[in-house]
Amino acid sequence: MTSSETPADDSIDPMAMSDDPVIRVDGLTKHYGDLVALRPVRFEVGRGEVFGLLGPNGAGKTTLVEMLEGLIEPSGGAAAVLDLDIRHQRDELKQRIGVQLQASSYHRYLTLLEILELFGSFYRRSVDPMELLERVRLDDRAGSRIGQLSGGMAQRFSIVAALVNEPEIVFFDEPTAGLDPDARRDLWDLVLDVRARGATVVLTTHYMEEAESLCDRVAFLNAGEIVALDTPRALVRTLDSPYRVELVTSEALDEHVIAAFDGTRDVSTEQRADGYVLRLNAEHSPDVLRRVEALAAERGVQVLDLTVRAATLEDVFLSLTGQTLSAAPDCEGVA
Amino acid sequence: MGMLLGASIKMVVRDRQSLFWALIFPIIFLGIFRMFSFDDLGETGLLVAADVSSPVEAALVSALQDVDYLNVEVRVGLDEVAALVAFEEEGFDAALLVTPGEPLESVDTLLLNAVNDPIGHTVTEAAIASVVDDVNAVLVNAPRVISFEARAVDVEVESYFEFLAPGIIGMGLMTFGVIGLAASLSRYREEGVLRRVRATPLAPWKFSASVVVAHLLVGVAQVVVLIGIAYVLGADLVNSGLPGFLLVSLLGTFVFLNLGAIVAGRVQGRGAVESMANGITMPMMFLSGSFFPTSGLPQPVQWFVELLPLTHMLRALRSIGLDHQQLWEQGPELAVLVAWAVGTFLLARVTFRFQDA
Repeated sequence: MTSSETPADDSIDPMAMSDDPVIRVDGLTKHYGDLVALRPVRFEVGRGEVFGLLGPNGAGKTTLVEMLEGLIEPSGGAAAVLDLDIRHQRDELKQRIGVQLQASSYHRYLTLLEILELFGSFYRRSVDPMELLERVRLDDRAGSRIGQLSGGMAQRFSIVAALVNEPEIVFFDEPTAGLDPDARRDLWDLVLDVRARGATVVLTTHYMEEAESLCDRVAFLNAGEIVALDTPRALVRTLDSPYRVELVTSEALDEHVIAAFDGTRDVSTEQRADGYVLRLNAEHSPDVLRRVEALAAERGVQVLDLTVRAATLEDVFLSLTGQTLSAAPDCEGVA
Repeated sequence: MGMLLGASIKMVVRDRQSLFWALIFPIIFLGIFRMFSFDDLGETGLLVAADVSSPVEAALVSALQDVDYLNVEVRVGLDEVAALVAFEEEGFDAALLVTPGEPLESVDTLLLNAVNDPIGHTVTEAAIASVVDDVNAVLVNAPRVISFEARAVDVEVESYFEFLAPGIIGMGLMTFGVIGLAASLSRYREEGVLRRVRATPLAPWKFSASVVVAHLLVGVAQVVVLIGIAYVLGADLVNSGLPGFLLVSLLGTFVFLNLGAIVAGRVQGRGAVESMANGITMPMMFLSGSFFPTSGLPQPVQWFVELLPLTHMLRALRSIGLDHQQLWEQGPELAVLVAWAVGTFLLARVTFRFQDA
């Protein structure tokens, strides 16, 4: 299989390419019988990047990642990870990458130390297990088993277990799924620490704020296709109205008048116990705010509350696909 | 490879479910079967209604009292109705009504027997009939033409428990191999352990081999422990030395482990895997002679049973453990087991997959 067999795609997004790529994906596809899990995708990941794959369950994230990890055979296209062919150089590939999976995927009858020693024995080079445990503050739990750890601890362990071979690329699969906000932030620091030590990170998530705070670039996957790929900031900038305005007033304001203002979109009103909530997307917030406030004053309507926020990746995904990510069912292992 | 094997052994011995099938299950069976005394029938409480002042009746009663397993209680002056009431209310196993007959000096006997104990019933009836015949012969001074003596022969098995012990050890190895391994493998798959291992450079065959070898080693330890427990309970299985017994155990366990891997490979879902594993082992346990000799089965069933690996494993274990035979005398049994080992190994290789889908 060579790239010449993949469907021609002349609309290569320059943002999908990198200067010093450690992962090059060229038209990779996967189908199970008639079911298409992944349509031809094309992108590169640069050395030292934190690259995020976002999308709802079933979007093809796991399929794509597992092909890059050498776990499943692609149906078409080609990809190289660390210049190794993912079809024919899997053994060497597995020596040099780290794979984090859910915490349950470690033998429940072994202690943390025993698991790290065991996994270390599978590689040419390995890091001292106690040093790894210290890195995630689990050195005092070396003799515990996975089932005896809290959710956050188990997740920290699953991350450090992916680092036994000092991998050049680490794949994280939903590293903070099901964790509380504190534990989640704690894991973000850990991911950034992995990158600070020189590894490239590829992570899948369906938490938008996770992608915004961690990733240098993100790719949105939906229904087996990459629908957008760029830095989080640039993706938000692609929205033609990057501000979200919410106004609570004593009386309803006329939606049609406001919708006619320059640079406003998607105006809607909702009646609530504490007043009328007016929502709109704005291109440039100061202008719009000034005009709305003038309108309220003119009509003798009191403004009770006002919030303006910048659009997020969630808004970008919504505008691209018509779906929200956070509303996607939070079941694991299906995607 | 040593580290991997060590980890695999730890995983087997720390897994309570697997250890249950390996040790606790057979130990429970050994204990339960030891509690039943199959080798003597216990005592039969016999109520005898007789008039011991009559010499004939006295001679009969005295002869009955000489029978070891009859616990005779004599009552004078009971008629049939009163005897029946006493028999039913006082918990006797049988009642013998002795009444004066015709001509004078002869007696009639009537045995009332409980029907809820068919074996005891038959034995009691035969014993009393024989006592009656004996007393008859003595009383008429008939010459004794035929003498009779009984002695247990057949194999060198001294008790039913000795026959049972290798059966239970074989059964333990089978449940450990099939159910224990199938359950572990399906759990490894569901929890993502197999997927995680596949993401490392470790060759899948090395992982599989370490799991199989760990189970074989634990299986051998299991046999040694069970032989010890059986010995304490009264069954000596090391007549011809341990090595032959252990070798047959290993070969059989290998077959059962392959069956466990095939089940885990063919069936999806942990619950379904365990049901299937039980479905394979339970009939084999009873058909292949763990508890009863297969010779009691109808001929067509015996033909089928001759195809099962457990049948041949148990036959070889009993020949070596109880009949002082050597390993090399088990040619036919070993041939069948080796054929099963090769066949199931090849099938397990084809059916068992590391992937979920």
